[in-house]
Amino acid sequence: MRPSSFRYHKAESVDHALELLARFGEDGRPLAGGQSLVPMMNLRLAAPEHLVDIGGLPLTDIAFTDTAMRVGALVRHRQYLAEPRVAHHFPALHEAVTWIGHPTIRENGTTGGSLSHADPTAELALAAMLYDAVMIVRNTAGERRIAAADFFEDAYVTALQPGEMLVAAEFPLPPVGAAGAFVEFAERRGDFAIAAIGVSITVADGRIATAAIACSGAEPRPIRAPEIEMMLSGRPLTDPQSRAAGRRLAAAIDPVGTFLTTADYRKALIGELTARAIDTACARAASR
Amino acid sequence: MTSADRRHQIGGADRPRHIGARVRRVEDRRLLSGAARYLDDIRQPGMLHLGFVRAQAAHARITDIDTSALADLGAEIRVFTGQDTSGLTIKAPAGHDPKSAALPDGHQGYWRMQDSEQPLLADGVVRFVGEPIAAVLAEDAYVAEDAAERIAVAYEALPVVATMAQAQDPSIPPIFAGWTSNVYIERQMAGGDLAAARAAAAHVIRRTYYNQRQAGVPMEGRGVVAAYDPADRVLTVWSSTQIPHLVRTYLAEELGFPESRLRVVAPEVGGGFGVKGQVFVEEVLVAWLALKTGRPVKWVEDRREHLVASIHARDHLHTLTAYVAADGRLLGLEADITVDVGAYSTFPFTAGGDPGMAAKVLPGPYDIPAYAATFRALATNKCPLGTYRGVARPSAVFSQERLMDDIAAEIGMDPIELRLRNVVRTFPYKNALGFSYDEGSYAQALERVRDLVAEDRAAARASRASATTRIGVGVACFIEQSSHGTPDFTRRRVPIETGYIAARVTMEPDGEVTVDIGLQNHGQGHETVMAQVAADALGVAPENVHVRQGDTLTTPYSVGTWGSRGGPLGGGAVHEAALKIAAKLKAIAAHLLQTDASRIALHGGRAVVIGNEGSYVEIRRLARIALRNVDQMPAGMEPGLEAQCSLDGPADGTYSNAVHAAVVEIDIATGKLRLRRFVVVEDCGTILNPLIVDGQVRGGVVQGIGSALLEHFIYDEDGQPLTTSFADYLMPLAPEIPNIEVHHIETPTPRTPLGAKGLGEGGAIGPPAAIANAVADALGVPVSATPLNANTLWTLAADIRAAAETDRDG
Amino acid sequence: MTIDITLTVNGTARTVRVEPRRLLADVLRHDFALSGVHVGCAHGACGCCTVHVDGTPRLACLTFAVQCDGKAIHTVESLGGVDATHPLQQAFSIEHGLQCGYCTPGFLMTLAPFVDAMVAERRVPEDAEIREAMSGNICRCTGYHGIVAAVRRAVTEQIETGSAQP
Repeated sequence: MRPSSFRYHKAESVDHALELLARFGEDGRPLAGGQSLVPMMNLRLAAPEHLVDIGGLPLTDIAFTDTAMRVGALVRHRQYLAEPRVAHHFPALHEAVTWIGHPTIRENGTTGGSLSHADPTAELALAAMLYDAVMIVRNTAGERRIAAADFFEDAYVTALQPGEMLVAAEFPLPPVGAAGAFVEFAERRGDFAIAAIGVSITVADGRIATAAIACSGAEPRPIRAPEIEMMLSGRPLTDPQSRAAGRRLAAAIDPVGTFLTTADYRKALIGELTARAIDTACARAASR
Repeated sequence: MTSADRRHQIGGADRPRHIGARVRRVEDRRLLSGAARYLDDIRQPGMLHLGFVRAQAAHARITDIDTSALADLGAEIRVFTGQDTSGLTIKAPAGHDPKSAALPDGHQGYWRMQDSEQPLLADGVVRFVGEPIAAVLAEDAYVAEDAAERIAVAYEALPVVATMAQAQDPSIPPIFAGWTSNVYIERQMAGGDLAAARAAAAHVIRRTYYNQRQAGVPMEGRGVVAAYDPADRVLTVWSSTQIPHLVRTYLAEELGFPESRLRVVAPEVGGGFGVKGQVFVEEVLVAWLALKTGRPVKWVEDRREHLVASIHARDHLHTLTAYVAADGRLLGLEADITVDVGAYSTFPFTAGGDPGMAAKVLPGPYDIPAYAATFRALATNKCPLGTYRGVARPSAVFSQERLMDDIAAEIGMDPIELRLRNVVRTFPYKNALGFSYDEGSYAQALERVRDLVAEDRAAARASRASATTRIGVGVACFIEQSSHGTPDFTRRRVPIETGYIAARVTMEPDGEVTVDIGLQNHGQGHETVMAQVAADALGVAPENVHVRQGDTLTTPYSVGTWGSRGGPLGGGAVHEAALKIAAKLKAIAAHLLQTDASRIALHGGRAVVIGNEGSYVEIRRLARIALRNVDQMPAGMEPGLEAQCSLDGPADGTYSNAVHAAVVEIDIATGKLRLRRFVVVEDCGTILNPLIVDGQVRGGVVQGIGSALLEHFIYDEDGQPLTTSFADYLMPLAPEIPNIEVHHIETPTPRTPLGAKGLGEGGAIGPPAAIANAVADALGVPVSATPLNANTLWTLAADIRAAAETDRDG
Repeated sequence: MTIDITLTVNGTARTVRVEPRRLLADVLRHDFALSGVHVGCAHGACGCCTVHVDGTPRLACLTFAVQCDGKAIHTVESLGGVDATHPLQQAFSIEHGLQCGYCTPGFLMTLAPFVDAMVAERRVPEDAEIREAMSGNICRCTGYHGIVAAVRRAVTEQIETGSAQP
């Protein structure tokens, strides 16, 4: 379990990285934390001819403007936990990050790596869907902004084209006072999730004004649940009828079974987690 | 007699001070500092690296091995296939000694087994995914892997035997030529009057139980280095093994190489748990390649190879029928035991090992007058089954202890009370099969556990009304036969043949002590424990004792470390050998102090006249006299301070006992199980070092928790393995595991010199049963199989959810 | 293709020539003869190979040595020397937090910064927090019990003596 040979290129700047990726096209891959790519290479499930090491590039900051949070592609998972404004504006994102892998993975795994790898139950991908994040993608010709909903196409498949690199993810700031929750279920803490739910709500007069719900485990990519979101709007925080919402979401999805998990179980689990996430978000909003 | 009293009398040793003490391990320093040398740290000049091309089909004829793509690799590669190694195999037959025909049927007699031989490299047919097909040698391990990847194998599919049902389907051809079915062996064992039990029974309870296939997964995988030295014509083989002497004998016989010129060295071994207690094709092949090429050869197993192609464990299906009197007394037990042992019989315990062991131990700690078992081993296109911590006993205890709870539920009796009514209370006890149990504390252990979990049982009852969270308490009461002696293996007619451990104790001229022992440590702290034992016998400190093992050049011939024999037999052998030296030291001291040797005691580095502490000789001076200043020895005494003892296990072994209790909490909506408590009350006889005993118990328990909840090696219907990485093969991680509470009862056995019984495996034996019983208690449903993962528990909780729905809707 | 890289390993800088595909674990083991770096799974799922890169725990099996050019690496050998004198190493021994020793360097390198952080906060963590901190490391021998106790002991003793390992 050692990787095949490849040619190594250390990118000196973002432009240099993009030039290298343009030159190698499908044969090139960016390398940063390596937490997803290198296991695949060691197992010889991936064998890129060229690796472009972007580890030294200045894409390491979480920056806030009046309207958005911009997360550089090289932001490590642990940085979300160290930045108090993340928990303040994006409580479900903050909670989601605590579920990513194990401490050493959170030290080294990067935002760009996780989003580009597009594991179907990755926490960051779900959070990007939940908060309507925009993927900032560049190649030598320029920049594309891709909505999360369009970015994640399938399991391990994104809208990224050969020569393109994700440089940042932009999370629009929710209205002040938004509450949220993230719940996940795996056999062991830190495993790839069987299912996860993120909820974000805004509140007016003790009631849910708007709701966003994102779900992983239902499809080979994270999804939103617009019908459930509509259903919740206007419900009192003290009685959001979360069980009904969970049942409705479970009824609407058609997850696949695996050799470890049956489809029925996943369906029921998603319903239950949905209810719990809604209840938690409402309780948090109510306690403010 | 208390154990402390008893220890003062053990074998005549004077004033034990170190045995029984919580002595910190001498091994730790090198392991903590990174200085320890494991197999992959062995390097030889000019060493070649071995990579394998392994089968990707479960059962197929090899039609082509295409190496043409190696040409453009730009490296010198040597490739070997089954044609090169033709005739070299792992042979693990049972019962071919013609004398065995005279033996009565019963016990674990495995004669007339259908044989399988596993070729070093496939002989034209592959029988499981992962079987070695070609060996590739390169100057570099990365390049060896490149080369192996470039070799293309073409297959012609053969019918795959992927399940127990298929293995017993006469329409599916046997996987070995000349076989009449896919059954290696099917035998019966019986004792007592089962017809009478049947006739007298008020209740007949019949249940079927299953334990899943598992992998063993020591954190260090297997690995072998071999180097031939033409100067002295010695072949040295380093292997991450538990059984260096058995590897040496196998290599000598299979390669036709003089055993006196073969040296097998087990370096630091990073865990084994029984997995490294077989002789593997890779060990023979690496040795053969070193001889063939004249170059040192190294192979280090990768994790995928380990998961698919070392050995697997469990995969037991048992159907039990209990004949029970109205008052809950067990009158008789019948067992039908089927084990899927995979593609080849493994050396030295054979394909019959697991099912035979299950059949033998099923009567367990209970006084059952009549017992009969049928056991069979099935051949399938899966990784061969071998020994893994507990060997069949986790499955036997799972069935036995699930059955006890099922009986209790059926007849409306408290499950602990049912057990107390049936456990053996007078010793020695001869069971229905004729096995003799030494003294134990079965009832006391149950009573202790009953007290320890009384509040949890109340909490469990209180949770019955909850539709969201249920609590359950389950117990497992069991015995573990260990330290088996030669007669046990003679009965089985298996290649292991014997079970003795030898130790040689040497006192050097400076008074320091060397112990060379035929065990192989892989985490058990032998160096510490053996030093404690030798120190007590010789009156020195453990720091003065240097324990060496693992190298056949320096250690006396022994069977290695398996079957929980390190403490009782290894410790016993060190004790006996050291006593011989102690006797000589006393004789010399008595000569110098002009007294009788019976009046000399050894302690604190001195030979002291009993009752007159001021009259003594330093032990190191005695050593100097025995080895250098021999003119001061008593007349006629032979110089030297060296003694050896080979200690076989007692005929019926020793019987440790334990009760495990699990307290679980289950989330009804998700199936998530949380272990609130895990409690062990165990009795392994004399405790040699409580630090190490607790560590062995706790480590075993957590492996057992893995068996109960998580670990499952899965094949699909084509015999393709699905759990080939740590992303799919799930072992317990720290957050899911509670602190493990361990309590001791000490009932020394008269059958070993120190009163110790085996304890290395016991921790892993109880958890599947205890946890399954706790789940059954929590959910109020029968539990018949493991693993009890969240999905399974969610399914088992369906009725509770349905009832809650009805309540709400109604 | 080989590349010259300079690694400062346990305080000493050295330039070595490596193929880009060489894993840091292999380079440390072979080129720097550091036997305390153990490979348990080579796919980032067991924590055995954990080392520190510029002070941060990292899996040496998921890192190419070329990525570490110019960086400072620390392995278990740097922790408490051949006598294993680091308070966490001592606590592992006292609490029997190791058996076969194969996973031990990885646990030590994962947990040493955690222990330091707790001592700096002067806070003895709950068992659940200790277990979460070691959740990326698999130990097959100890059942984790002794390791949890060792972390608790190392933190407690250092808080009591008022000294944190630098």
